[in-house]
This record gives sequence, C-alpha cells and structure tokens, in this order.
Amino acid sequence: MKWLRNLLDSVGDQFEKRKTLKKFWPIYEAADNILFTPTITTKSAPHIRDSLDMKRVMILVVIAIVPCYIFGILNLGFQTSLAEGVTRTWSQILLFGLKIIAPIILITFIAGAVWEILFAVVRKHEINEGFLVTCALIPLIVPPEIPLWQVFVATSFGIVIGKEIFGGVGMNIFNPALVARAFLFFAYPASISGDRVWISATDGYSGATALAVSTSESAENAVTLLNQFQQFDYSWWNMFWGWIPGSIGETSAAMILIGAIILMYTKIGSWRIMTGSVIGLVLTALLTNLFSPISTNTMLTLPPHYHLVMGGFLFGTVFMATDPVSAAQTNRGRWIYGFMIGFLTVIIRSINPAYPEGTMLAILLMNAFAPLIDYFIVQTNIKKRLARYAQ
Amino acid sequence: MADIQIKKGHDIRITGVPKREILKTPTSKCVAIRPVDFRNIKPKLYVKEGDTVKIGSPLFFDKKNPTVTWASPGCGTISEIKYGPRRVIEQIVVQLDTQEEAVAHTTYAPGEISSLNRIIITESIQQGNLWPFIRQRPFNKIVNPEDTPRDIFISGINTAPLTVDLDLTLSDKQVPFQAGINMLRQLTSGSVHLTIGKNSTCETFTALQNVELHRITGPHPAGNVGIQIHHIRPLKPGDIVWTVQAQHVATLGNFFLTGKFDPTILISVGGPSVENPIHLKTRIGVQLETILKHNVVGKNNRFISGNPLTGTETELDGFLGYYDTTVSVIPEGRERKFLGMLAPGSSKSQYSLSKTFLGTKNRKFPFTTLQNGSIRAIVPIGAWESVLPMNILPNPLYRAILARDIDEMEKLGIIECDEEDFALCTFACPSKINVGTVIRQGLELMEKEG
Repeated sequence: MKWLRNLLDSVGDQFEKRKTLKKFWPIYEAADNILFTPTITTKSAPHIRDSLDMKRVMILVVIAIVPCYIFGILNLGFQTSLAEGVTRTWSQILLFGLKIIAPIILITFIAGAVWEILFAVVRKHEINEGFLVTCALIPLIVPPEIPLWQVFVATSFGIVIGKEIFGGVGMNIFNPALVARAFLFFAYPASISGDRVWISATDGYSGATALAVSTSESAENAVTLLNQFQQFDYSWWNMFWGWIPGSIGETSAAMILIGAIILMYTKIGSWRIMTGSVIGLVLTALLTNLFSPISTNTMLTLPPHYHLVMGGFLFGTVFMATDPVSAAQTNRGRWIYGFMIGFLTVIIRSINPAYPEGTMLAILLMNAFAPLIDYFIVQTNIKKRLARYAQ
Repeated sequence: MADIQIKKGHDIRITGVPKREILKTPTSKCVAIRPVDFRNIKPKLYVKEGDTVKIGSPLFFDKKNPTVTWASPGCGTISEIKYGPRRVIEQIVVQLDTQEEAVAHTTYAPGEISSLNRIIITESIQQGNLWPFIRQRPFNKIVNPEDTPRDIFISGINTAPLTVDLDLTLSDKQVPFQAGINMLRQLTSGSVHLTIGKNSTCETFTALQNVELHRITGPHPAGNVGIQIHHIRPLKPGDIVWTVQAQHVATLGNFFLTGKFDPTILISVGGPSVENPIHLKTRIGVQLETILKHNVVGKNNRFISGNPLTGTETELDGFLGYYDTTVSVIPEGRERKFLGMLAPGSSKSQYSLSKTFLGTKNRKFPFTTLQNGSIRAIVPIGAWESVLPMNILPNPLYRAILARDIDEMEKLGIIECDEEDFALCTFACPSKINVGTVIRQGLELMEKEG
C-alpha cells in the first residue's frame, strides 16, 4: 500500500500549499485518516492510549447493520416475486432487491456526505464519521416504494436539523436517522404508511403489514386474525425470520439479533437499554392482554412475543434507542429509558388508532426525556453524597 | 481494617515490566529540582549559581507559604538555574562533589519519636526542608504545615504500569518506616491509614504498629491513594487529609533517626524501549541519562519521568521529578495502518479495553505514543465509567467543569477527585478526550474561587 500512501502524501502537500484547496482540508483529512490510521501522538499524560477510536466505533455499528442489509435485499426481491407471482432464482431475487435498494443507499449517502462536508468546511472541523451510521440506517427504515427525492430531503433534514444545528455528532438530542423518518412520516405520510408502499411491485399493488392486519378489524384475537390472513404468511416464525413486507431492514428479527449480539459484545450498544426496552414491551403487552376482555380493540389481545417480532420494534431498540448520544447517559437512566421505550411502543401501537407502529415515536419521545431521566439519576447521586456529608 | 475490593479498573499489560531485582546505578554527576513540578507555588530562591550546598540545604521556599522549603538532594555547586518564559524558575541543577556531606540535625531514638509533640515534629520537618514530601487532599498540593489533617493516608501498593514494587523496595526499611509512621501519627487528630495489597507479605507492612492497616485487591487504580481514601473514609467539604508516598515515609523516618536527609530512593525503569527493565537504587532528582545509559533500544523514544499514565515528558538529559519513582521509555508512534478502522485486529497489533478487536489473548503489548485516533465529541459508551472505581459520575462532572459550574462540581464530588484517578478514563476514551486535564482545571477553579 506504499503507492497509495505516497499518493495521499503528495495530494496532502497540495492541500497544504494551495490557498483555495486549504479550505477543503477536512475532505483530505477524512480520506487520509479513513484509509490510514492517524499519526497523532499523545501530547501529555497519559502517554499511551487504547486502540479504540470513534471511527472504529461507528464502523462497527455499520458492520452490525450489515446482516439486516443482506436480508433486506433478499426480502425485497422475494416479496416482489411473491406479489408478481413469478418464481425466480436466488440470484435473480438478489439482483431485484439490489436494483430497488441501491438508488436509495446512493441518495442517502450523497445527501449525508454533502451536508457533513459542507458543515465541516464551513465550521473548520474534521469530518465526523457519525454520519456513516445515520446514512446506513436510513435506507433500512424506509419503505421500498419511497420516492428518491423524498429520501434526499429526509436525509438532509435528519442530518441538518437532527444533528448539525446542535453542533454535530455528540451534541444532538434526537437520533438523526429517526428524525429523518419522522420527517417523512409527517411530511409525506402517503409514502410511508398505508398498504401500498411496502412491496415494490406493479403499480397499485397493496398488502397490509402485520401490524396493520392486527388492528384492521375487531376480532376475538389478533393472533387468529394474523393466522387467517391469506395474502402473507404472518405466522410467528415467519415474522421472526422476516419474510414479510415492511420497511426494508426492519423485518427480520433474526438478523437484528445478530446485530444486537455484535453491539452488546463490543459494548458499543448498551445492553441495559436493549434489555430494559424488551422488558418494558413484554410487561406492557401482558398488561394490555389483561385489559383485552373489556375492550373491542383487537390489538390489546396481541401477546408479547408477537409484539417483539412485528413492526420496527427490535430494529429501533437495537440500532436507534441505543444511540449513546441521544439516549440516557447514566447506567440506571438507561434502564428507565429502555423500559419506557418498550412501554410506549405498546401503548402507541394499541391505543393510537391512526398509526399502527409506535417504536419511532416512542424512541423520539424518550430521546426528549433522556436528559430529564439523567437529571434525576444525577440528583440521587448528589443526594447520597450530601447525606454522607451530613454524617 | 476491612478488605477493600476494587472491581472497576484495568491493569495495563505493557511490555518492559521492571524485574524484581535491584541494581545500583553509577553515581550521577548532577541532580536537579524542578520548581515547575509543584503546582500552585511561588518559588523564591535561597541560592544563586555558583553557591555550594550540602544535602538537605534549603534551595528555595514558597512565597505563599514561607515555612515550606525545599532541600537539596545533593551536595556540591549550583551549576545552573534555568528560567523559563516570564522568569519562571524551571530547574535548579546541583553539580555533585565526589565526597558528599549532609546537613546534620537533632537525632531521636526509635522509641522516642512517638512521644514527640506536634510542634517539635513540624519544626524538625521544616528545619530539614522536607515539607514538600507531604501533600494534601483535596487538590493534591503541598500541605500548609499549620493545618491539622483529619487523617493521613499512605498507599503501600503501586498498581500503575511499570511502577516500583513497594514490597521489594521497603523490605529492608522496617525501622525508618515505623519511625516515619510514628512521627506522622503525631501530626493528625485522626489516624494514619496504610493500604497494602491483599497478598503482601512484606514485614515492613505487616509488623507495623500505630497504624490502621487496610488491604486492597483489584486492578489499577486500586493503588492510587485517592481511590483508597474514597473507599476508607471519603472527603467531605472542609476536610483536609494528608498523603505521603510510602518511600518518603521511610525517608522522613530516617531523617528523624539519623538527623540527616537521605535522598536515596528506589525507582523502576521500564517500557517497550528499555532493554533491561529493572529496579534501581538512585536518588531524587537524578539525571535520566545516568540511569538509562546503554539501556535504551531504538532512536525515536519518549522519555517519561513517571509512569506512562501520569508521568511528565522529558528528555534524556532531563531529570527525575521530585515525586516520581518510575522512568518509562516508550517509542514515539508513527506507524499508519492501512484501513485500520476496518481491520479485524489481534492481540498482537491492538490493545483495547473494549472488545472491538479480535484476539483475546492477555499478552503484553508494546505501546507507542500513538493516540490511536482523532479527538471527537463525547459519545458516551461507558468507557469512562468502567475504569473509575469511585461513586462519582464522570460524565456529569466533566460537563459541570466545562460549564464552570462550581456549585454543581462540588455536589458531584470533585473534591474527592484527582487527575491521576482519571488517567485510565482518558486511556480508554474512544473520543480521545483528556479527562484528567479537565478534572485538574475543575480543581484549580474550585481552589481559586471555592
């Protein structure tokens, strides 16, 4: 790799020498330090440092998302074939999926990179690798039928309003990818909800997601409703593996669990948040089950293990609720924060009639409350100390 | 008396760990004291270039606190007084005579010391110019001799990388160490706390009297006296406790027994660039060149007076810091790994407290001075918390300091903290933030305005 190093060095000289290029130093710096680890040495004690840096943290999150990408692409092709009633080989399915998702990924990363570079150049700071994660998440949480210009606008909104106006990665209060999705949801509801957007097939093809099915009509039991549904196989195991329509990356619980294991093992994603959130979901679902006999709301009858594999709950919990910046930052706070996300997800799913999915709003709402949770945890620490002082 | 168990923390496995053997170093030509090593003092010189001094003669005093004076660690001629920017006295170098002589003071029998009163002891320490050996918490600065400390704490175990093995160092110092403890006991209204390793069998410690002995287990920073205070009897606002390094307890004890200041100390020399990492018998303020001669490999090295986590960068012709008992030599890093952020990694090529690299072998790692990344905003993934064995919330405290919110800082317990206790947080931080420096800023702000 010596030639590449030499090339980068000579390009770097140009960036340093020429005045017009100097402004764009962050671009060179980012390329240089992504390709080769930086040469910065410690200036004061501690003179030695851990090998982990923010670039690796962010890239590991992206790696944890990769299984969802692979499955998402296959599922896209699979659902299309199913809808069109054509049998295709796996390689054809893969190509079909790629054809749908590649433009979305491309547009997302272009939008993300443009804004990140613009802010880095104007603010004269280094390009922050955090946008990679945001941009890796966005294609997975949109429906396949999303118009590309909306992807661009939403990504821009997420990156600029969700992150950059607060000062960039580390300063934001909401998860930027979810801000992008919330923007789509409220600005272009037709593109991201309803029955027509989840499968990329011939115009007008419609298919309800599992969550929509469970709320569609009143029945004795949501599970029967799901099992009787003809168009798709909404059995628990099929939903666990993820061969169902939905946002591109959210459908497969199995793939998300692989990502969860990576994040928990490397300690980049908080296991407290994930566990708290699942506990919150299960307990709240059990609670709604108790209330189901006195209500006509079918959703209340949905058992917890179905809640887990349906909709975007797992994806949101594993990849978005655990965003360390917008989540609660104290360990006890993380439990509460996670629990509340699980709780609110079920509440929004069951009780809000307008929209069957609750995870996105639950996480955004808890993002807003995370500093408050932390405040109370910090206060208990302070009170304990004051009590000790008083002795 | 109870055992203290430290769970959070980490013992850094760096190569070049000093062997448990003591070598005697060749005599050095000169020694030095660096007034800039002492925080928050205004040094005023007693001597000028060309003056002759004996071991123990006063070199300078603190204008803010004139009873605190510094003893010369050598006998000879003042060869250089080096000034820095704005006429700050940087270092005072003493060219050593071949036959050295020490200033003599009153001697006491071992049994006598326990019956001395506080006034006699403080006066003796002052006459010996040895106050700087005793430091106070909070703020980790030289004490005001007029204070009466709540307690005195001594750490009898070093856990930082490459540091001196205190069991080995003090094994033949039983009498002066006990004398030092007896003397310190008279200075406090509380007790003298000594914390040693759980498995320590060093008789100097185990047979000790007149002391509250604690045993501690766990990884670094278990050996930091600040952590020990936190677990034994934490500081409250208004409390003042004193701390003395274990070797200096023996030095002080020896001073009372013999009436002379003996600047001999045992230091460790280690790090990836040291050919023969070892313990050395030398003296306070020695020139690094003397002790590192023919023992360094490679050309581009960083010489550190102190351990790699808290030491001060210096040069080969620089001098050992007043409180330092470790010299570390670490190669300057310059290697650039292609696509390092994507590489799977191994225990040979990476060292991380996180599990973000493959390779789980607990082997020793040849660290360089590479920061291994660029500075970023905090992304709190719990790196700080997992290596801080204190009931302190590092992240809120850090923010309170940046916001210069003194009230909040105090509530979050800053007076219990010291820079060195946060060195591991900085080591582990993926955003490469120097937490310790900020803690120091907070403490300085507290001191100035609190």
